[in-house]
Amino acid sequence: MSQHYYEFFCPVKVVAGKAALEHIPYELSGLSASRPMVITDKGVRGAGLLDPVIEACEEGGQEIVTIFDDVPPDSSKEVVRQIASAYREAKCDSIIAIGGGSPIDTAKAVNILVSEGGDDIAAYAGAGVLKRPLRPFFVVPTTAGTGSEVTAVAVIADTEKSVKLPFTSSFLLPNAAIIDPRMTLTLPPHVTAMTAMDAMTHATEAFTCLAKNPLSDAHATAAVRKISTNLPRVMENPKDSDARLELAQASTMAGIAFSNSMVGMVHSLGHATGAICHLPHGLCMSLFLPYVLEYNLEAIREPLGELLLYMAGPDVYATTPTSRRAETCIAAIRKLRDQLWQYCELPRTLQETGKVSEDQLEAIAHSALDDGTIMFNPKETSIEDIRNVLRRAWG
Amino acid sequence: MLAKRIKPMALQARRLYVETMFQVMGRALQAVSEVDRSVQEEARALPDGFLFEMTVMPNGPKLVVEHQGDGRFQYLTSEPPRPVDLSIQFKHIAHAFLVVSFQEKTSVAFANDRMLVDGDIDRAIRMTRILNRLEAFILPKLIAERAVKEYPQSLGLPEKVLSAARIYLKVATHFVETARAS
Repeated sequence: MSQHYYEFFCPVKVVAGKAALEHIPYELSGLSASRPMVITDKGVRGAGLLDPVIEACEEGGQEIVTIFDDVPPDSSKEVVRQIASAYREAKCDSIIAIGGGSPIDTAKAVNILVSEGGDDIAAYAGAGVLKRPLRPFFVVPTTAGTGSEVTAVAVIADTEKSVKLPFTSSFLLPNAAIIDPRMTLTLPPHVTAMTAMDAMTHATEAFTCLAKNPLSDAHATAAVRKISTNLPRVMENPKDSDARLELAQASTMAGIAFSNSMVGMVHSLGHATGAICHLPHGLCMSLFLPYVLEYNLEAIREPLGELLLYMAGPDVYATTPTSRRAETCIAAIRKLRDQLWQYCELPRTLQETGKVSEDQLEAIAHSALDDGTIMFNPKETSIEDIRNVLRRAWG
Repeated sequence: MLAKRIKPMALQARRLYVETMFQVMGRALQAVSEVDRSVQEEARALPDGFLFEMTVMPNGPKLVVEHQGDGRFQYLTSEPPRPVDLSIQFKHIAHAFLVVSFQEKTSVAFANDRMLVDGDIDRAIRMTRILNRLEAFILPKLIAERAVKEYPQSLGLPEKVLSAARIYLKVATHFVETARAS
């Protein structure tokens, strides 16, 4: 009897496509919410991305009670406390997060405080602390990459203790994720490329790491197909709203996949490099993906070969011998990275970033070895293995 | 009829097996930290007094070890003196049995959501590496390959046999001392 076992959970309603924002008033009313607070950052407001949300709500008879638009890139306990206080003062009853990873994580933490009470978010840190549903919560992503709109985790910095507080609970998941092509239409090419490669990595690792399962596989393969087809289209023509929507949906699908099957060593290295060298997460993912796949090759030959169908299309898949499909899949990823270098000079090696020095590699290796995601990597990884991958990624 | 009578006995035997394995593993963790330099190096990164627990939900068998400092663990035979720092909790005795009977690798059990981690995940990864190293030493290679993600290529037969003998001797001595003390 097979020992295989898996769990899959995603209760988030996905509201996606043309005029999706205009569904917000109806969705709020369906949860008996009428006084939403918007949580976002200066970048989103500066890019004019609040306007279509506010217009859609006001036209639908839904007032936005208050807006907090000053979420920093690394949100802290203090910021969460401040926003929760503003929420209570304005007597809000629901939250709409608009932005990338930071506003979404911050809004998840704020929702804990305003639902459970108290001022200290640290009291709710850890796994499984929350025991009941929180206030109505919607997410409008403005990047196509993190997948935070469908993940049950949030990370908030405790600046006093210099630690990052993790929060894990299915109650952190939003009631709805609103995917509207208008929200990613003005994303700069460099950010578009990085975030799409983040989603590509989520999907690829979800499909090749230890906790892969049939349901996450379905989401992962669909996401890979959408990204490999539509990322070059968007880089060619950033105003292609159909291709933008495809990327945004792919990001959500990749998010559903990896939140149910976890990720591996690309993320271990990415988390470590991001923390030590302050490189954007998506860039780290793009940097390390082919090198880690090469390292894992013999352990993932079968799924990686299968992924070629979605990465390069049926013609390439059909004309590639089974024994060469995994290598060809890695080659297809390298080709995509070369294209991104042509379009927007997205670095392909650590050296090309110009922000990493060779003497930082040892610290990155040690930090990566202790990262939680290393557990789900299909190959057992030693410090020497990580050093080797880093040397190859150095360039 | 016979099956109905045998089933509770089988379940009891499974629980007893997990309890016994936890006692062996706890003592073996202490022993391997006295014998193996790699384990000592890994353990040195943990704070002194760090308490690690492996248990079965809700009130099943448990093993608790304390980091005494300098990479050495001590197996605690009684209740820990304070709340543990890191707890790995199997959701059911059946899941613990799969792992300690080497039908499911520890990493696969994590991937299959068989257990929860309460505490710092970095330290859980470190403790898993230590447990893997222990299993590579004390189990025959064929069985160890079922227990760990990858059997360490660098572990030669002489080192394995010698270390395993020292670990088993220490475990047996500890059992005898515990029995005498009680």
